Amino acid sequence: MKKLFIAFILVCSACSSFAQSSTNSDDSSQKNLSKILSKTSIGGYGNALYQRDFNSKKSTINLERFVLFVGHNFNNKISLITEIEIEDAKVAGGEAEGEIAIEQAYLKFNFNPNNYLVAGLYLPRIGILNENHLPTNFYGNERNRVETFILPTTWRELGIGFYGALNNFPLSYSAGIVNGLNSAAFEHGSGIREGRFEGRDATANNLAVTGSLQLNKNNFKAQVSGYYGGSVGLAPNQADSLKLTSGILGTPVIIGEADVQYAAKGFSATILATTISIPDASDINRAYANNTPENEFGGYAEVAYNIFQSMNKKWQQELSLFVRYEMLNMNSSIPSNGIIDETLNQQHLVAGLNYFPIRNVVVKADVRLMHTGEENPDLIINPNPAAPPYQQQNTILNVGIGFSF
Amino acid sequence: MERRAFIKTSCSLCVALSAGLAISTFSSCAPSLIFNAIISENKIAVPLSLFAKSELKIVRVKNYDYDIAVRKEPGEKFLALLMRCTHADNQLTNTGNGFSCSLHGSVFEKDGTVKKGPAEKPLKKFFTEKIADQLIIHLS
Repeated sequence: MKKLFIAFILVCSACSSFAQSSTNSDDSSQKNLSKILSKTSIGGYGNALYQRDFNSKKSTINLERFVLFVGHNFNNKISLITEIEIEDAKVAGGEAEGEIAIEQAYLKFNFNPNNYLVAGLYLPRIGILNENHLPTNFYGNERNRVETFILPTTWRELGIGFYGALNNFPLSYSAGIVNGLNSAAFEHGSGIREGRFEGRDATANNLAVTGSLQLNKNNFKAQVSGYYGGSVGLAPNQADSLKLTSGILGTPVIIGEADVQYAAKGFSATILATTISIPDASDINRAYANNTPENEFGGYAEVAYNIFQSMNKKWQQELSLFVRYEMLNMNSSIPSNGIIDETLNQQHLVAGLNYFPIRNVVVKADVRLMHTGEENPDLIINPNPAAPPYQQQNTILNVGIGFSF
Repeated sequence: MERRAFIKTSCSLCVALSAGLAISTFSSCAPSLIFNAIISENKIAVPLSLFAKSELKIVRVKNYDYDIAVRKEPGEKFLALLMRCTHADNQLTNTGNGFSCSLHGSVFEKDGTVKKGPAEKPLKKFFTEKIADQLIIHLS
């Protein structure tokens, strides 16, 4: 209780900085500085790609996403950050494809240049792509599979987050409290991805805490992050009837992630590893029969080089060649009432290029070689006798464009 | 027990965050990259002696939510940059060899030019001049 009181006093004293208190400073200078801030800003990003699946001999072309940012500065201390996303170009009633979603909508409260608080629908700092997911900021047309199916990027939830940085050491930190996941919605083959609420009618009986430490030192950036959250938002009597542990952190999902990035003189390298633990997976399976695993893990390593690095910097052109190896297993261990699926044990080798004619426009081409484990016939109900046999190897060709502004 | 565990975890987080806030604001106790300044007649005065051993100082202006990075360049020149991302006005992080924005991933070089988007404009530069033993940063 004493710790809680001390924390409350400290946070209140920090919050008092939002008020426009009188100072010894020149007020007209403050007004001049305030004019430097734009009131409302608009930006966005998008990408489209052609994809050829060599196993199915099927090609598709899709405007994968278009996102609009709108930001507004109410004053020096408080601003609004929003992003709205349209996937697959259109949403038509009854059709499976297409989605319109609010990707972010939060208020940002600045305590000082080093510390701020966000409240609303935001993207917690977990992994690399969750915050840094613009198509001009990653290699390849597709987001890597580890940060799609293990860490379900882009993962946004409702809550509050605190972001800060030390003054004299290049360490940034973040912590947040958001709504928890919905284990009833976990789907076999997509990890925890379908358990996200993404701002809509989230249960708040269960919550989650997130945190990260990020070191930015010259050419290196290193991060560790974590998540601990409850995944049952039912009322206690409902949860009891399903023999699930309810409550704020009941039936937890636990995530750990670490990554290191290096970039210098046109060369870049990235390595990331992550693991998810769901200790009560057997309870979830008993309640919902969704084959939830006890553990998942994934990791990738990527290197890239800009072969235009030595050319005239004013050109802004960049031609980066990259290669990335990804490995993930969405059911590395399963409870006794689960069924193993080795097709979720995957390795991907992606190689290609990103060409920037100017900084925020990119043309991408890449090939993904995919290998999975064998199909488990126990998971096929009423097999179609005409269906081709499952192929553990596949080759995917992607050619696309991306932009941000 | 779940409620107690959550309150305990959250309170520990609050204490840690508050301590972090306190540590980052009480900078006078540590040898500092940060120099605290106030504005007078649209100008900020920074002692030139600060740059005797360090080429970079971050000037923290009272009641203003963006720092100013001041770098000593060859030829006794100084470059003062507003650490505000030119894309969506987010505060920038000093990485040692430039600045980065966590909001959408923009990266700026030491001289304020854009290294990686979506920002398109370089960082705002302030005019500086040396008067006696002070570096004067003009904000207008």
